[in-house]
Formats: sequence, structure tokens, C-alpha cells
Amino acid sequence: MRRIKRAFFGAAVSGMVLGHAAVAQSVTLDVTAWKGNEAEPAGLPDLIADFEAANPDIDVELSYISRLDTDVVLPPRLQGNNAPDVMMTDMPLVDIWAGAGLLADLGTGSEWYGRLEPSLVPSVTSDGAIYIMPLEVIGMGNFVNMDLLAQAGINKAPTTINELHAACRMLDAAGIRPMIFTGGFSAPLFVIANGLEQTDSARALGLAEKSFTESDGFNASVDLVRGLIDSKCLDPQEQAGLDPWSTALTEFKAGNFAMMPQGAWNIGDFSGVEGLNFAFAPIPSNKASGVALDLFGIGWSISAQTAHPEEARRFVEFFAEAANLQKMLDAESAYSPFQGGASGTPDLAAPYDQARVDGGVIMYPFAVLDWPKPLEREIWDSLTGFLLDTEKSNEAVLERWDEVVEDAL
Amino acid sequence: MTLPRIASFAAQAAMVCIVLVMLTPVFYMIAMSLRTAAEIVEQPLGLPDRLYFGNYVNALSQMAYLRSVVNSIGITLAVTVLVAFLGSMAAYPLARRTNRFTRLVIMLVALGLATPPFVTITPIYVIFRNLGLLDSYLGIILAFTALNLPLAVFFYTSFIGAIPKELEEAARLDNCNDWQIYWYIIRPLLGPATATLSLFVTLMVWNDFTYPLLLLTSPEKFTVMISVYRFLGNLNVQPDQLFPAAVLGSLPLLVLFVIFQRRIVAGVTAGAVK
Amino acid sequence: MHRNLRIYWLTAPALLVIACFFIYPILLSLQMSFTDFRGVGEAEYVGWKNYDRFLSRSRYANAIWVTLKFTVIVVVVQTLLGLLFAALLHRMPAIRNFCRAVLFTPAMMSFVVVGYVWQFIYSPFSGGLNALLAAVGLDSLARGWLGDPDTALYAIAFTHVWMFVGYTTAIFLVGFANIPQEIEEAGRLDGAKSWQRFWYLERPLLAGSFTVNIILSTIGTLKTFELPFIMTRGGPDRATNTLSLEIVNNLFGAYRFGFASALSIVMLIMVVLVALVQNGYLRRREENT
Repeated sequence: MRRIKRAFFGAAVSGMVLGHAAVAQSVTLDVTAWKGNEAEPAGLPDLIADFEAANPDIDVELSYISRLDTDVVLPPRLQGNNAPDVMMTDMPLVDIWAGAGLLADLGTGSEWYGRLEPSLVPSVTSDGAIYIMPLEVIGMGNFVNMDLLAQAGINKAPTTINELHAACRMLDAAGIRPMIFTGGFSAPLFVIANGLEQTDSARALGLAEKSFTESDGFNASVDLVRGLIDSKCLDPQEQAGLDPWSTALTEFKAGNFAMMPQGAWNIGDFSGVEGLNFAFAPIPSNKASGVALDLFGIGWSISAQTAHPEEARRFVEFFAEAANLQKMLDAESAYSPFQGGASGTPDLAAPYDQARVDGGVIMYPFAVLDWPKPLEREIWDSLTGFLLDTEKSNEAVLERWDEVVEDAL
Repeated sequence: MTLPRIASFAAQAAMVCIVLVMLTPVFYMIAMSLRTAAEIVEQPLGLPDRLYFGNYVNALSQMAYLRSVVNSIGITLAVTVLVAFLGSMAAYPLARRTNRFTRLVIMLVALGLATPPFVTITPIYVIFRNLGLLDSYLGIILAFTALNLPLAVFFYTSFIGAIPKELEEAARLDNCNDWQIYWYIIRPLLGPATATLSLFVTLMVWNDFTYPLLLLTSPEKFTVMISVYRFLGNLNVQPDQLFPAAVLGSLPLLVLFVIFQRRIVAGVTAGAVK
Repeated sequence: MHRNLRIYWLTAPALLVIACFFIYPILLSLQMSFTDFRGVGEAEYVGWKNYDRFLSRSRYANAIWVTLKFTVIVVVVQTLLGLLFAALLHRMPAIRNFCRAVLFTPAMMSFVVVGYVWQFIYSPFSGGLNALLAAVGLDSLARGWLGDPDTALYAIAFTHVWMFVGYTTAIFLVGFANIPQEIEEAGRLDGAKSWQRFWYLERPLLAGSFTVNIILSTIGTLKTFELPFIMTRGGPDRATNTLSLEIVNNLFGAYRFGFASALSIVMLIMVVLVALVQNGYLRRREENT
């Protein structure tokens, strides 16, 4: 009996050893992302399966951590030498983490670096190093409910301020509420887009070399909002404190409003709503094209502490291949960060695509570090305050921006 | 029925109605969870005209729900035992002696009670990393124990203070040491206070999401609230996801509460008022 | 003497835990509050700069003001409402347990759940509250409850009270139950009306319950950030931006760990001060009655 037991035990042990030897080459990559869950899959589950099939020696363990939680969860892990191997990041994160030496330089010599969209290159390169491989550029524009517009006798999404005024008056006359214009997101997109369109240097404003208070572009942009209110585009009191991330989306999906400035990441969700016939258009501005407010949102970064730099690099570069990236862009309705790269936007985003072709692109200044991150929240707050009390002077709004920029320096 | 009796009956009926109105949001949550997203927006009030379980099917398929319930229960039990043991043990001398040392200890405990949890997050993470306790049940149990301990010491101190000293004196004459007195005389009397405490601990473990979010990384170790929170994400909260997840997240505690409500409420108050 | 000291060993494990998880982190925070630490990397000593910034910008004073206002509203309303419920239920033994349990139910739910659910109830368009007002013909009162700075803080305070009034009621009920029968009966024989009995006999005897209730709810409310975090993110335009929410935002949104630590220290001092003053006052009041 004892002999049998020993034999069995021996076999089990050698089995384990052999089994272990067989997988000894296998490496588990710890990857975190704020995409890839059910709500925003971004094609990640499929892409990871493809990657693992192509690299049988690498196991990818993806943890979903939302963008807000990323701020809570990852700094202690980075600081504690316990960082994931690969992390989804954006420029504000890269700025802090790479600044502290926690991210690996991906190297400007890589194949994909040479293919990057030239306008992105200076934004993502810091002192000759690059800490993020961009995955997508995503549009922020104006969602337009075409059925409601048709009811008011309009058949084209407005792209200029004049068209917008006209549309609002006709919608209002037809008893349709024209615009969702939340102080917490939609109004800021509109004001930032129009302000930047009439300003030379976003960067100088972010460095306090020029002030918002004295900027003609931003004074004019705030005045544009007053104009929208006069044309019955929106009820400022009602829109000021509306939650841009829940109520506003639900209301637009329900067909209660005709337009809403928001991000293209909603396209997938909105497309699933039965009977909602919408277009994704640029933010109306004084130029004919309107503004395509492009957000350089996400990319991959590799931890400087990773034990598997080679495998992590293979994972990141897998996404630089056009065919692979396309899956993500399709799922996200986003644009490729690479030259000549395709886009994943559906036909209903044709007006936005057109604005990009017509030279209406403006990069969202926070995503490329032109403006400091705390200013974003201050803009949301101050425009909410403005909508609540439109008697406020432009200066009362804009001086708060200057103050925060100063504080952040 | 005499007039005063009718009046009293009416008053009681009115009171029951008022109290039930307080439950409306809970009913609202359940009713909403059984409707499609479109129905919620179209008709924000009223009962569902049909029961639609699709939201639940969807939520359950995406949350490792049962697993997380088991985790929450296990962590709750372990934390309760630890907190009750450490808290009552520390409280015994504090309740029986008053001097510079006990006053200092009580002050430290009060400081712990007053400390907002986010003040201690980063240091706790670093300590846990150094001890290798990240992403482990032991770690999260320790963290929750620490968070609840000040309250436990407070509760037990006031509770033990109300226990007559005669029993101890008899034991002391029998040459029992302090530990024996605590273990054989005091501890068995602490039932009601421990009941209270387990309620607080349960609520805390069940409902907190900051600590598990930070300390647990593998999904199979998540507590219920983390699975709810992860399921909802942070932005773009959809009603057809929110309401079923809210119901699922609250359900185990509500069921427990319905079964044990009398003992739970009695327990809460036994500890709070000596 | 020897034996007298040995008893204190029983506090050792708890003290160890408190030292590791409260005292040490607080000291670390204190140290961090004099640096420009950004959560990762090296921290540089900046002296009193963070505290100076706290004093020189009105927004932080405003956050403290919002916190105190919120706390006062919640504590006053919750205590009075809990007292009212308890006084009534004390006189209604038949339904007492049932009502107590029902009132207690919301406290079983998590802030995450309560916050999101109430956000929907308060929502301006398809929200339950406005729909209810419309149904009873009070459309004129309908509004975006959380979007209007005049109502947002009250709306959140109401939700908070809704969650915890059951606690207060239950604690007061025990206070009532502890009132000796003879006193009640003496009052009844004197022909005292119900409210007279309450005011002259019961109220003074509830001093202990008042103390427990007020201190527990004050500390809990001062620290809270969950409901504003979920329901309004501090808005509209900072109308519900409590100090703890400001800390959380600085910590995790802006990566200003040094500054957030300074705010935490200010907050801790505030909580301890309020608790000390309150405790002293309430205990003295208890002894006088």
C-alpha cells in the first residue's frame, strides 16, 4: 500500500514538474484599462484573444478599472512597485507618471512612431522620449436627432452658428426642445471649441502667458452662449445643473431634445436605441465647417518596473497593426492616431468626418496637456454658474479660469 | 369602540402610512428594475404593467454575483469576530480604570473614530505592500477590522461600564487573573453589544467600496459592492443597469434584515445607549 | 501594583492596530502636507505653502461653510424627526416594532445604491419626484432638484436623513423605554396631556439619547462625501462641494496629494474640535438634568 502511495505521489510530483516545465515559458501580463467591460468593450476581449492565439507563450490578464478609479487605484500600485505591466493611460496620467520615472520609454525609433499623425507627435513626445502608444482619437461634436429636426422642417444638421440659431427657432416653434446644454459638459465643449477657433495659442493660455479674461476669442465664445439663449436654443436654468453623464444621455435617447454636444463614444450606445435616428455633427461655429473637437483619449503605457518588458512591448505593438486597431476603432467609433489610418466611425458621423476634412479639427486642449487638468473642472463649474445667472459678466466667468491656471503652475 | 379608541386607531393607521411612504424609494427601485430602459423614460412613475426580467439576466451574467456574495459574507464574519475580540478585550480595562493611560487610549480611539477614511488610504496601501497583504482576503479583513475597531472599543467600554462589578470581585478572590476574568466573566455577557457591532460591521463591509477597490485586484475576491460598482462603471449610468444592480447589491442585507430585524434593531440600541 | 498594571496588556492588540492604521497614517499625512507630493515620485518640502493656499482662496472657506451647513441641517432635522417618530411610536406599542423596522430599512443600503437611485428620483425630466408633483397638480414646484443651487444641498441632506433617521428613532426609543414606569404613571395621574408629559417628563430624561444621537450623526455627517460625490459631484457650481469631497477631488483627480493632505489635517482638526465642544456641552447638559 505504502509503495503504491509513494509511486502515485512520485508520479504526481513529476507530473507537476513536467507540467511546470511545459508552461515555464508562459508569461502572464497584467493589463489594466478603462475599456473592455460590457458597457464599453472597445473590442478588447476579442483583440486579447487574438493576441494570445498569436502569442501562445503570453497570457493576458485584463482588469477593468474605470478612468476615475484609475486615479485612485494605480498611483499606490505604481508607488508601491506593484504596477501592472501594461496600463491604459492618457496624457494627463503620462505627464505625472512619466515625470516620476514610473513609465518605460517606448522609444521614438519604433516603427509605429514614424507613422503617427504629425499633429499628435509634439503632444505625445516629451524630451525625445515617448511613454504612450496612442490608440485612438475620438470626436467630440454635436449629436443631432434628425427625426426631430425633420419635424421642424430642417433636413441638415447645423454646422454654423447662424444655422444653429435658425434651427433653434424652428424647433422651438414646433414645440420641440432644441438643445441639451449641460453646464457640466456640453456647454464647456461649445465654449472651448468656439473660443479656441478664434484664438491663436491654446498653449499660451494654459501657461498663463495670455489670460482668458483678455482673450477676444473666449469673450466672444461666452457671448455666443448668450445668443443661443436669446434664440431659445436652451433654458439656462434647466440645463445648468443637469447631469451630463446620466440624465442628459437618457433624455437625448428618449427623443426629448433635438441636439446635444457630447463625445462620439456614445454612438454605439445610442445606435442601439430603437427609433432614434441621429447624426453626429461638428460643434457649430462661425466657420462653415464647424469645429471637430478631437480628443486624443487613450493609449498603452508600459510600467518601468515590469518584469516582462519584451512581452509587454509585443502586446503594445500588436495594437499598432492596422488590422487589429481597426477592431477597436470600429467598436469605439474613433479615428486612428496613425497617418492614413482608417476611422471606425459609421455613416451617421459623416457630418463630423466632413468637418475634419474641411479643416475644422481642434485638439481638445486637456488631452494634449496644453491646459492643466484642474482647469477642466473649473470650466465645468464656472459655466454652470454662468448658466444659472446669465447676468454675470464674461470677466466673472473667465477670471476663475485664469486663477486656476495660475494655481496649477 | 369608544371615541378615543377610534382616534387612537386612526392615529396608528396614519403613522403606518407615513412610515410606509418612507419606503417608496425602495419600491421605486424594485419597480424600475423590472422595466426596460425605454419604459423608464416614457413613464417614470407607476407600476410595471409586465414583469421584465431581462435587466436581471443581463446584470447577473456580467457580475460574478454569487461569488461576491460569498466573499462579502466570509469577510464580514471574520471581521466581526476579530473586531469583537480585540475591541472588547481592550475595552475591559478602559471601562474599569480611569487614569492618565486610559484617558490617552480613549483619546486615540476617538481620533480613530474622527479620521476620514481617505486620509489613511495611501499609507495603508504602502503598509500592505510591505507586508505582502495586497489582493488577499487577510489584508482586506485586517483593513476593515482596523476601520471598525475604534467604534467597537467605544461601544464595549460603555457597555462593560454598565456591568456590575460584583461578579469580577468574586472571581478575583478565587485568584483569577485579568485575562481569565475577561474571558470567563465579561466576554459571555457581551452578546447584545456584539450583536450591535456585527450590524455595523456588516453594513460597513457590505457597503464600503473604497477599500476593496484599492486593496483587491482579482475579480474572484471582489465584494458585492465592488461588483455592483464595477458593473455600473463611473460615467454613463444607465437606468436599466443601475436599478437591477442596486436591487442585487441591497438584496442580501435586506433579506437578512427582514429575518432578523427584531434582534438587529434591539442590538443597535443596546450598544448605543447604556 | 504589579497586577494592576498587567490588566493594560489587554489593550495592547487594539492599540497596535490603531497605531498602524490611524496614528501612523495621520503622521504621514501631516508630513505630506508640507510637501508637493503628487501621489507618485519624489516629494519636495514646500513649507506652509499648502496651508497658505488654503487660507488665501475663498473656495476652501466656502467648502467648510457648505460642510457645516450640511451637517447642521442633517443633524437638526434627523434628531427632531427621529425624536418625533420615537415619541409617537412610544405611545403606539402595537405598531412600534413594525414601524421601527421599516424606518431602519434605508440604512441597510449602500451610499452607492442610495445615491444613484435618488439621483434618478430627483432628475428634472423623467424623475420620480417631479412626476409625482405633476400627478398631484403641483407642477409649478417641479425643478431639477440637484441642478438648482438653491435646492441641491437640501435635496442631498434630505436623502441623508432618509437613510439614517431610523437609527435616530431606534436610539430614542430605547431612551423612552428606559424611563421608569412610575414617572410616566405619576404624570398620567396628574392628568398631564400627552405633549406635556413629553416636554416636562420625558424630554429631560432623554438627555443620554440626545448625546449619543447628536454625536454619532455629527461625526458621520462631517466626514461624508459619498452622496455629493455620486449625486452632484459637488455641483452645481460648488453648491454641494463639501470639504471631504474637495479632498477626494484633489487627491484623486488633480493628484495634489500634498495639498489634499493639508486639507485632511484641517478637516481632522475641525472634526475633533466639533466633537470635543459638542461632547463637553452635551455631557454637562446631561449632568445638569
